[in-house]
Amino acid sequence: MKTGFFSSPHVKRLAGCMALAFVLALMIGNQEGSQDDYGLAFRQAIFSPRIILFIVIGLLVFAAMTFWPYITPYLLRPGVRPLAVGGITVLVSQTLLKWSDDGRTGNGKFNSVASKAANTDGLAPMAKLFFSNYLGWILLLVTFGLGAAAILISLRALAWVAAVLGVVGGIWAYTSQAAVRDFLGTPDHSTGGGVALIGYLTLAAAALATALATGDIADTRAFVNRLLAWRPGMPLVVLGLIVGVIAFVQATWFSPQGSNQTLTDTKTFFQGNGLANLAYQYLAWLGYVLFIATLLTAAAASYLRHRILGWVAAGLGAVALLLSLITMYDMTDLAAAAGVDGATGPWQNLGSGAWMACAAFFVLAGAGLVVATLGARDEQGELAPAEAPAARSSDTLSRGFSAPGSSKVFLFVILATALFYPPTATGFWQKVLVSEIGIYVLLAIGLNVVVGWAGLLDLGFIAFYAIGSYTTAYLTGALPFKPPSFLHLSPLLAIPFAIAICLLAGVALGAPTLRLRGDYLAIVTLGFGEIIRITANNNPGNITNGPKGAFGIPHPRIELGPIKFVWGQNNLQYWYLLLVLIVIVVLLFRRLEASRLGRAWAAIREDEVAAQATGINTTRVKLLAFAIGASTSGVAGVFFASQIGYINPENFVLNNSILVVAYVVFGGMGSLPGAMAGAAVLTWLPEFLKDQVPAEDRQMWIGAVVLLMMIFRPAGLIPAKRRAAELRGLNRSSSAEVGAVPEGEGMGVRA
Amino acid sequence: MTDFLNYLILGLTRGSMYALIALGYTLVYGVLQLINFAHSEVFMSGAFGSYIIIHAVVGDGKSLPWFGVPLVFILGLGSGALTGAVIAWSLERVAYRPLRRRGAPKLAFLISAIGMSFFLSQLAGKLFNRFTNNQFPTYFQQNRRVLSIAGADVSVIQLTLIVTAVLMMLFLDRLVSGTKLGRSIRGVAEDAPTAALMGINIDKTISRTFIIGGALGGAAGFLFGTAFTFSNIMGFLPGVKAFAAAVLGGIGNIRGAMIGGLLLGVVENLVPTAPWNGHAWIGIGWTDVVAFVVLVLVLVVRPSGILGERLGRAA
Repeated sequence: MKTGFFSSPHVKRLAGCMALAFVLALMIGNQEGSQDDYGLAFRQAIFSPRIILFIVIGLLVFAAMTFWPYITPYLLRPGVRPLAVGGITVLVSQTLLKWSDDGRTGNGKFNSVASKAANTDGLAPMAKLFFSNYLGWILLLVTFGLGAAAILISLRALAWVAAVLGVVGGIWAYTSQAAVRDFLGTPDHSTGGGVALIGYLTLAAAALATALATGDIADTRAFVNRLLAWRPGMPLVVLGLIVGVIAFVQATWFSPQGSNQTLTDTKTFFQGNGLANLAYQYLAWLGYVLFIATLLTAAAASYLRHRILGWVAAGLGAVALLLSLITMYDMTDLAAAAGVDGATGPWQNLGSGAWMACAAFFVLAGAGLVVATLGARDEQGELAPAEAPAARSSDTLSRGFSAPGSSKVFLFVILATALFYPPTATGFWQKVLVSEIGIYVLLAIGLNVVVGWAGLLDLGFIAFYAIGSYTTAYLTGALPFKPPSFLHLSPLLAIPFAIAICLLAGVALGAPTLRLRGDYLAIVTLGFGEIIRITANNNPGNITNGPKGAFGIPHPRIELGPIKFVWGQNNLQYWYLLLVLIVIVVLLFRRLEASRLGRAWAAIREDEVAAQATGINTTRVKLLAFAIGASTSGVAGVFFASQIGYINPENFVLNNSILVVAYVVFGGMGSLPGAMAGAAVLTWLPEFLKDQVPAEDRQMWIGAVVLLMMIFRPAGLIPAKRRAAELRGLNRSSSAEVGAVPEGEGMGVRA
Repeated sequence: MTDFLNYLILGLTRGSMYALIALGYTLVYGVLQLINFAHSEVFMSGAFGSYIIIHAVVGDGKSLPWFGVPLVFILGLGSGALTGAVIAWSLERVAYRPLRRRGAPKLAFLISAIGMSFFLSQLAGKLFNRFTNNQFPTYFQQNRRVLSIAGADVSVIQLTLIVTAVLMMLFLDRLVSGTKLGRSIRGVAEDAPTAALMGINIDKTISRTFIIGGALGGAAGFLFGTAFTFSNIMGFLPGVKAFAAAVLGGIGNIRGAMIGGLLLGVVENLVPTAPWNGHAWIGIGWTDVVAFVVLVLVLVVRPSGILGERLGRAA
């Protein structure tokens, strides 16, 4: 019986793959069920042609799993991962992303734009060529195929060809999209071309890795480390070069009335209109000169590893950034005064080019700083030893890429994106950025303290968010129960009060439940969250205004003598406020993690009894975890209440608590960058899916993504160092010389 | 007094549902020391599975002869249990076993189960419908009074629910304490490595535990759907309550789950409606608050639940 046909592992696996294919077929498509005919959806899935596609996918998965041990040696070669990432990125940009926002291009996705563009006269010939005869697809296939072939047969010449093709393809794709935009002549926020550029450049980088890798470098990570260690800051210089060239040569700086004016057009536009001299000179020549000067200084500083040159580059970059901002302010202020395109104030009608220039200067200044701060250490030797591993357990960027300065490189890239990308996004994405991504990132940072560091599962975290919001509503007088007049505050001043009250609430929740462990704690915190929400809903003593919630919570404002700043309806303003809050919290928590308290949390997480035996006051430490996590959540609550202006108990349902836990674990428990990345990805995903799948199916896809992530990468997106060690075993070195597949890496196949 | 009895009966009805679902949580917790967050979707799938079968058999149920009623009821119970078992089994294969193989941290299991829970409930919404008040065909008069205790009425469905639930709990109790399978489940719960040394196939035992818990949950889905309404999101609230009930009785403890479920159902219905100066003392709006406050109070006094933990010890 044991040796029967159905107990053969291959048959089982095939059955599993077919089941997977069937479930996938069920997941695709529109809402099909109805109360009268529950079988409809199943019949649609089985008897439609699409089932063939899914059976093929199932068979491919089966083949991949069966032949996994034969594939893995190739997967570890340098360049494989970037090749896969690049190929998928381009594929995504050409299937899912928009290449034009203009209604004349159909749904705006690649195929639709391509078919329109191929038949349009007057489009730039190169762009027309790119879009016609499936050339975009052929280019992708050829580049990817050449890269893959180069890796398979280790042929350097082929890799060089692929690298060149990758660069050409990226530029071609980007300029083609730009040509379409120019042809249509309307402002455009679509990301297809840019993402395709990134994807092609990744492909090129993969091919380069293959071409340049020497025998002693076993995989991509080692190669990237070598690259980062070669000249710290050089990756930032290259990035600054790419972004800056696009900004100064090609991108839109000013776009009133649907026009797309590049830098030179903008100069012509403002010529003789009384623009301040400095700004005019910037538009005319100063901008270019500044860019070239900063670029050269930064490049020289990185190449020569010259500290003083590094400082000069950083200074030049900062000055150039400031001048760019002044120019942008001057010209938009002037345009607003002249009433161009109904502008009501500065910073309107700006195109992406101006912001890209800012980003380029920022990144170049960053490169200078990296060189300036690393120079001293590098003089001692070619490769500085990796930082002491115990000191920063969540600094995973430097775990994966251990070259000196590499975590700073990533930091500057992320900061540049956070600072200068949002102004170029559409209003919809700005709103998402503030009211979904930003707030949940803050909440995830807070919960990471409780769940990730102290190991206490808290399923009622949203309660503190609610407490923070209601505290704000109370202190600003938006509740039926008014505060005494001397306490009537503006929202930002409510932050310390919200922190204090959330600290108390955290202690109040923690104190009676400290004896509980693990899952008992989970259910009690869950209950706490529900108690808070139901209390707000039931409105005892008419304090919370019941299900109607609080209205008219004022927007934040700062009035300190001459400095006066009032937040209004514009989401960008809130984004920068939120960014400041997040940066402050992250800076504080980074210090906290390596502190005595942080280490005590790690100890009670790993083994509470042993921690107690070593003299840690577990009660106090646990309470502090609750209180600190809660106060972060309270800050998020203050921000939320004053940004949105009205709150009701529906904002604080149990589902949100569970989601925040999912974000933290998805990103990587106990890892600060991980928790932030997890929250950002999982809050971004549903909005992204809006264009791809029926709206009500989004949660299903998110569930599937979370599930797959946990199956294939249980430590999360950016695992904490300590967790990764737990999963991998402490003795395994994370070095490049990987001989075999790690145990259990084989998609359920036992090696 | 009549009110009291009415609410007591209502509480017992709901409590027996909680107990049936809680058994699924507690069984899985016993063998894996994990909360199976997707168990509420197993419960939901039972309702849909049995609806499809019953709808196919009786149509709108108007022309069903009287002797068909118990047959259809048993058919529904069976199909609900079968659906629940199948879903729970695949749940274990997809969301738990791969993680177990690579020694994932405990919370990873929780999150994969949450992902599975979202996935299943929304997939059901996509495949069937997203209305919140689907009803089974009315193939018998659910609300007819069968007996009356001191003025309080007990309807057919209430009695059926309580009796079926108690029978299934007794069956499970026998299964776990008296059969070979039950012994292996208790063995794994007590000490998995040692159980493996004694010749117990751990993977199989865990699979079967999920199947048993899933069958109970699926049957509960059918009973719940028959008595009330069913939908793709019906699992969430009873799931949370049943989880609370399992913890209340001592998670991992089968009899504890039964007691915890019944107790929670009775308390959350009796306490908020207790009269005070001629009107309800606390009010129905506070039902969930009362349930959770009771839970917290019990846990503060007895941190490991009423009957304590350990599947092995108590059964």
